Amino acid sequence: MSQRKKGAFSSEGGIRQSSRDRWVVVLSYIFVGVFALMCLYPLLLTLTVSFTSESLIARDGYRLIPEAFTADTYTYIFAHSGVRILRSYGVTLLVTVVGTLMSMLVTCLISYAISLKEMRYRNVIAFICNFTSIFSAGLVPWYVVCVNWYHLANSIWALILPAMFSVWNMFLMRTYFRSISPSLYDAAKIDGAGHWKIFFSIALPLSKTAILTVGMMYLLSYWNNWWNALMFISDRDLYPLQYYLYSIVSNVNAISSGRIPAGAAATIRLPSETVKMAVTIITIGPIIFLYPFIQRYFVRGIMTGAVKE
Amino acid sequence: MERAVKKKKQGFLWEMQHNGALYIMCVPALILLLMFSYLPMGGMYMAFTKYNVVDGIFGSPFVGFQNFTFFFSGNPYAWNVIANTLILNFWGIIFGTILPVSLAIFMNEIRNGPFKKISQSAMFFPYFLSWVVVGAILYGFLTSNFRVDRKTGELILTGANGVANRLLVFLGQSPIRWYAEPKYWKAIIIFINVWKWAGYNSIIYMAAMTGFDGSLYEAATIDGASRFQQITHLTIPMLKPNVVILTLMSIGRIFFGDTGMIWGVVGQNSTVLDAVNVIDTYVYSSMRTMGFGFSTAIGLCQSIMGLIMICLANSVAKKINDGEGLF
Repeated sequence: MSQRKKGAFSSEGGIRQSSRDRWVVVLSYIFVGVFALMCLYPLLLTLTVSFTSESLIARDGYRLIPEAFTADTYTYIFAHSGVRILRSYGVTLLVTVVGTLMSMLVTCLISYAISLKEMRYRNVIAFICNFTSIFSAGLVPWYVVCVNWYHLANSIWALILPAMFSVWNMFLMRTYFRSISPSLYDAAKIDGAGHWKIFFSIALPLSKTAILTVGMMYLLSYWNNWWNALMFISDRDLYPLQYYLYSIVSNVNAISSGRIPAGAAATIRLPSETVKMAVTIITIGPIIFLYPFIQRYFVRGIMTGAVKE
Repeated sequence: MERAVKKKKQGFLWEMQHNGALYIMCVPALILLLMFSYLPMGGMYMAFTKYNVVDGIFGSPFVGFQNFTFFFSGNPYAWNVIANTLILNFWGIIFGTILPVSLAIFMNEIRNGPFKKISQSAMFFPYFLSWVVVGAILYGFLTSNFRVDRKTGELILTGANGVANRLLVFLGQSPIRWYAEPKYWKAIIIFINVWKWAGYNSIIYMAAMTGFDGSLYEAATIDGASRFQQITHLTIPMLKPNVVILTLMSIGRIFFGDTGMIWGVVGQNSTVLDAVNVIDTYVYSSMRTMGFGFSTAIGLCQSIMGLIMICLANSVAKKINDGEGLF
């Protein structure tokens, strides 16, 4: 922060320097601007293509500003597979809401406990958590245990339980809890409050922004998770939105590689170009609308995590 | 001091009596770790068996190191997927450091508030997209529908073409069937990975830059240093420790590929997959084709190599950082 202010000071102060330094500033604008466009352009393209008619796309290819806009694709999608998409939306919403709430409860509890200096074995528990991030059993044992022992195949819990606890988020939350002054806890203790009471009536209410920050991180990871669906879900009724999109796009990729014989390709009905883009937009829709509001929480979370290192 | 010593002497039971509630708070998370991280470690025993579903993990016949020797000697894929993983990660680390550091430095030079805000929002946005969505968006760039007429050699568009091909045609080049040409895909995957994480990583570097001592820049300005000299003599040297730590963390994970990225972007396209098949995706696909014992063995090798690399990276970090490791 302070550096930015000084920077502003220096550029105001040295008028003679400004002409010498101008090329650095110009280069900065160009570099940042070009990369920002590279990030924005694909999204805008996807959006406008989803509002273009199929025949225009076939004639002109993908272009940012089509000759005419139409919402035909969306009416088509909702007429033909509206139920399917709404169902996937429902699965994703349920998993995201229930998952985030459960994750937050579990994460807040453990990170509060090990944030306290008076807990003697806190480092042992921190190590138990940390070890899982430096050594893992690998995909196959994890899969076998999930399917054979916990029976997660084709269960909605397969989309929630394996993703429920993130060690990274736990350490982030612990950093926030540590910033609460211990004197507040001591005062409560003198009044006879136990650990549970202190947790619910002091630690949690004081950590609202932290809870929002870490909650958003879980929210996004549940919303974007399609890997667990790929591993465990074969029942179409349980497809989350992301996996529904995956099932459309990955089929198309395989067919356009040309390795599938032409006869077989002809029998598989390809979703049209605009449909793919429209489903993409439907999948990221809520994120686009929420993005301006949630972005700062992520920035804060990343910064807190970075400073911790 | 005396009290602290006294506390040390109080045993396990004392701790449980007074802080038992705190340990109960840890239980749900520890159960999840046990279920999804520690119990599967027991399942690694499968690597030494010829696993079948009926007999289960511990009932299947023991075969010793057969799965391992088969992977490393009888299998042309082994070195291929290991090389792919290392190549993708190597270039990912190089470009994934240069781009975010440059972005952070240049962002710092920009004084226009709205421009800064909007461009940062734009740069950060790819982080919010899942790999499936990125794959779908990439499709809009790379899709190709054309054929070359055998007699006249003329190019006939047979459907929608993506942005990349339209650009090639515009420049007078011939279009490319991207999804049938494996040779481009290492570059595409490296590019898309760097693109997705650049905004995120630049925030980390910007966070580090907010902690820099402003008086150094003030002094440099008074001494007549230009903005460019300030960048090369102050900002970059001060960013170095952060760059080193982040790079070491990536090196610690150099044997791990991003399955989500590969599957999300390449999908089930086996033609292209050969070029970007990493250890993780190979484990996934060999699970179905080569059996669980074999794929567990590969995963076990990968985990052990990963552990060694992380410990090496950690000890290097400790040496550089005055005893402060990565974890």
